Amino acid sequence: MLRTALRNVLAHKARLAMTVLAVCLGVSFVSGTLVFADSSAVAYRAAASKNFADIAVTVTPKDPPPGAAADQHTTVLDDALARKLADVPGVAAVHPSADGSATLNAADGTPLRAGKTWANLAGAYIPGKDGKDDSRYPLVKGHAPRNSDELAVDSGTAAAGRFSIGDTVTLATDGPVMTKRLVGLVSTEDTRVTAGGTLALFDKATAQKLFATPGHYSSIDLSATPGTNAVELANLVTALLPADRAEATSGTARATQQATYVDTLTRGYEKLPLVFAGVSLFIGSFLVVNTFTMLVTRRTREIALLRAIGAARRQVVRSVLLEALLIGLAASAAGFLLGLGIASVLPDVLSTDGDTLPHGPLVIGPRPVVAALGVGVGVTVLAAWLPSRRAAKVAPIEALRSAEQPPSTTRSRVRAVVGLVLLVLGAGLLISLSGAKDASEKNLRDAMLGCAVLVVAMIMLAPLLAAPVIRLTGRLTGRFGITGHLARENALRDPRRTAATAATLMISTALVAGLAVIGNSTGQALDRQAAAGLDADYVISTRTPTTGIDPAAVQRVADTPGVRTATAVTDSTLFIGGGVRSISGVDPATVNAVMKLDFASGSLKDLGPGRIAVSSTIAKEHGLSAGGRLNAHIGRNQEFKKYTVVGVYKDNPTAQDALGARSEVQQHSSKPGSLQRILVRTDDGAVSKITADRLRSAVGNSPLLKVQDRAELVHEAAGTMSNLLTLMYGLLAIGAVISSLGVVNTLAMSVAERTREIGVLRAIGMDRAGIRRMIRLESVTVAAFGTLLGLAGGLFGAWTVGALANGAMADYSLVLPWGTLLLVCLVSLAIGTLAAAVPARRAAALSPLEAVAQS
Amino acid sequence: MTAPSLGTLSLHPTTGIAAATTDLSKVYGSGETRVVALDRVSIAFRKGEFTAIMGPSGSGKSTLMHCAAGLDSFSSGSVRIGTTELGTLNDRQLTQVRRDRIGFIFQAFNLLPTLTALENITLPLTIAGRRPEREWLDRVVSTVGLSQRLGHRPGQLSGGQQQRVAVARALISRPAIIFGDEPTGNLDSRAGAEVLGFLRDSVRELGQTVVMVTHDPVAAGYADRVVFLADGRLVDEMTHPTPDRVLDRMKALDTRSRTS
Repeated sequence: MLRTALRNVLAHKARLAMTVLAVCLGVSFVSGTLVFADSSAVAYRAAASKNFADIAVTVTPKDPPPGAAADQHTTVLDDALARKLADVPGVAAVHPSADGSATLNAADGTPLRAGKTWANLAGAYIPGKDGKDDSRYPLVKGHAPRNSDELAVDSGTAAAGRFSIGDTVTLATDGPVMTKRLVGLVSTEDTRVTAGGTLALFDKATAQKLFATPGHYSSIDLSATPGTNAVELANLVTALLPADRAEATSGTARATQQATYVDTLTRGYEKLPLVFAGVSLFIGSFLVVNTFTMLVTRRTREIALLRAIGAARRQVVRSVLLEALLIGLAASAAGFLLGLGIASVLPDVLSTDGDTLPHGPLVIGPRPVVAALGVGVGVTVLAAWLPSRRAAKVAPIEALRSAEQPPSTTRSRVRAVVGLVLLVLGAGLLISLSGAKDASEKNLRDAMLGCAVLVVAMIMLAPLLAAPVIRLTGRLTGRFGITGHLARENALRDPRRTAATAATLMISTALVAGLAVIGNSTGQALDRQAAAGLDADYVISTRTPTTGIDPAAVQRVADTPGVRTATAVTDSTLFIGGGVRSISGVDPATVNAVMKLDFASGSLKDLGPGRIAVSSTIAKEHGLSAGGRLNAHIGRNQEFKKYTVVGVYKDNPTAQDALGARSEVQQHSSKPGSLQRILVRTDDGAVSKITADRLRSAVGNSPLLKVQDRAELVHEAAGTMSNLLTLMYGLLAIGAVISSLGVVNTLAMSVAERTREIGVLRAIGMDRAGIRRMIRLESVTVAAFGTLLGLAGGLFGAWTVGALANGAMADYSLVLPWGTLLLVCLVSLAIGTLAAAVPARRAAALSPLEAVAQS
Repeated sequence: MTAPSLGTLSLHPTTGIAAATTDLSKVYGSGETRVVALDRVSIAFRKGEFTAIMGPSGSGKSTLMHCAAGLDSFSSGSVRIGTTELGTLNDRQLTQVRRDRIGFIFQAFNLLPTLTALENITLPLTIAGRRPEREWLDRVVSTVGLSQRLGHRPGQLSGGQQQRVAVARALISRPAIIFGDEPTGNLDSRAGAEVLGFLRDSVRELGQTVVMVTHDPVAAGYADRVVFLADGRLVDEMTHPTPDRVLDRMKALDTRSRTS
């Protein structure tokens, strides 16, 4: 049987090539995404992890007790302690450091990797005891920073920022902007930097001033002599430390802590690519089933002959399955290689400007290999199983019969009933959700289930819908005369095959249309929300909540030509009975100039210390109205206190969850006294590049700050939709590729089966162009059928599931993305036309003599 | 051994000739595997005449018909339909000639299964973008006796009915000549007799020219003239044939080809 299977594989090379390609694509997506996920997890880990390999014990300061002196930077780690630690038995070397983060402006003035502060490292360049280089940062060029005006960076940072030695570099740590002269380039093995971060090195005194206090360090690392137990050493060191001001941890314990943290950071990153993989496999399996079904149909006689000369049913099944196994193996191997290619380009594809993924080498673990084989071989064999059973049912008598049997009517009746029941169930479930108020876990699960059931129902009903839908589209193709007429009839000849071919396109169209509608509607809702309540023309804000804007900058902004008012806002957290909310500290006198607030009750008039206004959501959650009292605490102040609610306003992203007096909020914010936003109104609401540049220089061109006008703000809020957009177009592409393979496959088969008919048409006078047009129209008809069904399903799904978003998002309403829907239709037309190219050419090349060929 | 001169070509140059071949040769392969399927065949088919081409298997009778009908290419010589020289035409022109001036009837009926009987009959006109003349269509349909079955698909018709549809399809465009390739080969004798009767009627009553390849002496008996091929050459001709005379001649040819 193996030999028969092998022979069959070779004999049907061309046809099987399509199957191999489909499986191969599916496998390549799966293995590619898994390899990518593994690689990027490793890269992420590298990017987020400090290397603890050589560190036996780390000494870190403890936070000062609550209520003590507010300066976070005070530590007890100084040179005296470092010397003391060096004398502890088992300590080989002591590496004190003063670390923090610093964001640099590239040579062109734009912030360098500003979105990723965790990778913007900064520290002290501390030469070793002998006065030589800092062993962590070997100098590549220039010299070490020796005073507060000098700076060294690593070569990668210099290249990314286009710095060269002697340049003046603008940077900021967490406060005002500084300028330093670049005097040296170093190299580093710190994976956080090599994975795409930046590194800025100051001289020791400057770094201590920035990240600790003069004469003190932010941490001290100890390396141990060989044979020393790290945990025992940590205990020895702990004994030497002031108990409440510093602690010693073993390097391995720190590494474990860090790994857990990084795991939570990177989890979920592989989800998006895996969705692609799943979809491509799901669609691809249709192609495989279809191909095998057609192969078996075509080989009915051959199989019957095998049965007639004594092959058992089991042997026929095994032969077909063996064929599938061979194909699956070949396709998986090819797909895996293709997957490696995908994995290597994915980081570039997924990186939007400014938001670069950490880079690192490809990591090929056992998981993708096992998945590739399992998925490729598994799907192929499973997909071949049904047709193989059909093959086994072929009666030996078929060998003597030439005409194929019509599909059984009882089976299609069962199919219709089951399909309809599923349709009603799926649609019912989805419609029942349209009353849902929120996107709770249960509702989402129900929505997924409903969609899945709906898809299965559509697949089952597709053969029955083929006739009416294609008759309808046939009105259009009929305009092409006899070729269109024949194309329609040919598409109708085997509705099951047509439906199976169209199924791939149907699923991908449904997915894309559904996502497009939801994405578009959500995006527009977000757009409306982002700017809702904002009456300012520019917003200057910090990139991270822990940094602040220099309070002196507010006056400079206000004095900028073209600016009418500038209002400072302090953002902090509001703790209410276990829940964490955000609170904006504003000046009651000026806030009305920059925020549009719609009060349900009360007003901002009485805002002041101890008196806050809350959004209607908060009010609803806590049963509040103007005059009510709320037990809460703000920011770092950990004592709960009763706040009087002076007003309740309609939810507003600019005002956030609550409004307080700035004087009070500022006092307790994470960086006491700091500001997080400046809302700017210009004269006549004018927005221009000149004004933006002026505002930027008013805040010292700090790389830590963003200056955005309304449009940019809205754009940023919509940025969260870009993932969905990538997903959508990715799915469209996958669907297009696999569907066209399916259409090519079916058409090639159908041309092969109709050789004689095409010969007759040629003999009685249809020219080659006519034959080509006929095949092309048939292809377009099948594609249009899949697209129409998919659009219907997708729009229905989006309409019902959108209700969930409706509950979660106040301004959600269904908005059809006409452009995308049109694109979907055009893609389907293109698939129809392109997929027909080769089969149409082959059909047109047939000789009229085929009509008289004896076979 | 040369083919006997049939003389007709020189006596009636073009007038009254529906189709003709001159020194038509068809060679497959080259060198060792060279096979001469047709060897300088010259034959004319007169308008309004029913000709049967006969010969043993491999005599080249089908090849002669395929070449004369513009279905197949030939190596040398010429083929004319009316005054049109087929050898000089490109594929598109040849297709047009087949569409407008030649009708076909195949052994395997070769109707399009997705079209109704009526649609199959008018197909050559539809392809040409023309509408059938009502009167002519009625006449053709009633000649072949299909008036009641026009809405049926081929699958719902018997073999004889299907072949009658094929005859009607060949007649509908009033071609200069109709070629039939064993048109009764797949039919039982009664249905075959019916189809042959229609072909003869179309010659007698409609003035149609018909050329038919057959190996059946009974079928050949319906023709006005029978030409015999052997080894790619024209070897004999018989007018007003009867099945018995044709059978005798075939037996003689068989013996000759076996002994030669």
